[in-house]
Amino acid sequence: MSDKNTTVITGAGISGVHAAESLRKGGYQGRIVLMDRDRQMPYDRPPLSKEWITGEVDESSVLLRDPAIYEKLDIDLKLGVEVTDIDSVRKTIDTKDGSSYEWEKLMLATGSTLRTLSIAGDDLQGIFYLRRMADAIAMKQHIEHVKDAVIIGAGFIGAELASSLSQLGIKVTIVEMASYPMENIVGREVSEYFLDLHRRNGVDVITEDSVTQFNGETTVEEAVTAEGRRIPCQAVIIGVGVSPNTEVSHPQLEVEGGYAVNEYGETSVPDIYAAGDCTSWPYHGSPIHVEHWDHAVNHAKTVAQNMIQPQSVPYTYTPYFWSEQHGSRFQYFGHAKRWSKTVLRGSIESNTFTNFYLNDQNIVQAAFISNQSKNALPVRRMIQQQKAIDPDALADESVALKKMQRRLI
Amino acid sequence: MQHSEGTNPALDDSYIYVCPSSELEEDDLIECEIGTETIVVGRGEGNVYAAQGICTHAYSELVDGELDGTCLTCPLHFACFDIRDGSVLEGPAETPLRIYKAIEADGSVWVSNERG
Repeated sequence: MSDKNTTVITGAGISGVHAAESLRKGGYQGRIVLMDRDRQMPYDRPPLSKEWITGEVDESSVLLRDPAIYEKLDIDLKLGVEVTDIDSVRKTIDTKDGSSYEWEKLMLATGSTLRTLSIAGDDLQGIFYLRRMADAIAMKQHIEHVKDAVIIGAGFIGAELASSLSQLGIKVTIVEMASYPMENIVGREVSEYFLDLHRRNGVDVITEDSVTQFNGETTVEEAVTAEGRRIPCQAVIIGVGVSPNTEVSHPQLEVEGGYAVNEYGETSVPDIYAAGDCTSWPYHGSPIHVEHWDHAVNHAKTVAQNMIQPQSVPYTYTPYFWSEQHGSRFQYFGHAKRWSKTVLRGSIESNTFTNFYLNDQNIVQAAFISNQSKNALPVRRMIQQQKAIDPDALADESVALKKMQRRLI
Repeated sequence: MQHSEGTNPALDDSYIYVCPSSELEEDDLIECEIGTETIVVGRGEGNVYAAQGICTHAYSELVDGELDGTCLTCPLHFACFDIRDGSVLEGPAETPLRIYKAIEADGSVWVSNERG
């Protein structure tokens, strides 16, 4: 195969698919090869822990695009293909099946990899991780006859699955190592709110403990913890986080908490770009790494524009994620590794509030919104503007967020 | 539900009362129900428009979004629609919004259960 007029995208998740589509819609005339090691048609991951597992939507509705779209946009989809080598001089990419593709531009959209645990007895049936569609299908089949489930990790995946499984009538116990789940992201108050929300909805949450052993004949029957708890269960789901998938490597490719890219999505190797979960990228001047659907979409779209017209559009999106648990909708904007103070607008007791994370100059760095979607767009603008704000006004629900921003400008 | 007095030739039985015109200012959104359908009504560039009130991409009430001119943005994944004809201006939505007839008469805003 000799075709220099080709862009290869490795990874057909949310980033890869949006990149391919944006290249074509942006006027790219060359060949587009979109490859993934998964054999499934590209699908959307967020529903897997929510409406797909509860049976509210079927398999076809989680597809990212109608399969006919790829042909229509002349995107050459290669599924079940694993990358083995990149040559940046010859500009080729080799795959496990012995194929080699030439490229003029390459995009790494490899997403993230699950963190795994090694626990005695983890070869028993009924123990799952959730990342791919295949995991989700196997889990869904298994839990049909399950009464008690243990979820390891109270992060967003664990929390969403706890909610979904409870909805299906399964008694769920979450085992979490930390005292306050996700405290580093949302702070103590919101973390306590999460714990309370789970408990009010019948989910047992055990904190400051970890599972050290699974017992059972062929299928898991109980989980044993470091503190000596024995929790009967017929299913276990492990959700202890993900890390950037940077398996596709090259000696000159800089990796630092993900493929390091600049504001245009360029890696340290000319003509190799990266987007989404697998990257670390500059946000307000410092490199950050996020694993959010919204980022994966928008980063890929922007990077694709820069692949067509080099360094034409810097990426400036505000990080965002949402979650749905026990009938509540959560939205989080921005990025704050630390903050000087938090400001609560609304009341946690009423389940309807927005919690702001401010730096020492009273600039809102991030905000967590619970069941107040009306605040979403004004909050996003507030974080984009990066201007100091009066914390008292922020806490006062009689002062409209929109008006506060007008005053700022 | 409250109806204004008198009859306006522009209004047939398909219209329901939404709110006084003065309550729907530029870029304001308000929600109402017609039968089982949730409708979002907004004023963009002076005119009133009505569209299906739930985003076509994922379940989200558009009344919690924002209207800027005639561009209606969803508060969950930020899809944008043209409120005049329902067309998608920005993804992730792919399906246009259903549009309903909306008019102002007798100092009030009215929406019809007939498609616009």
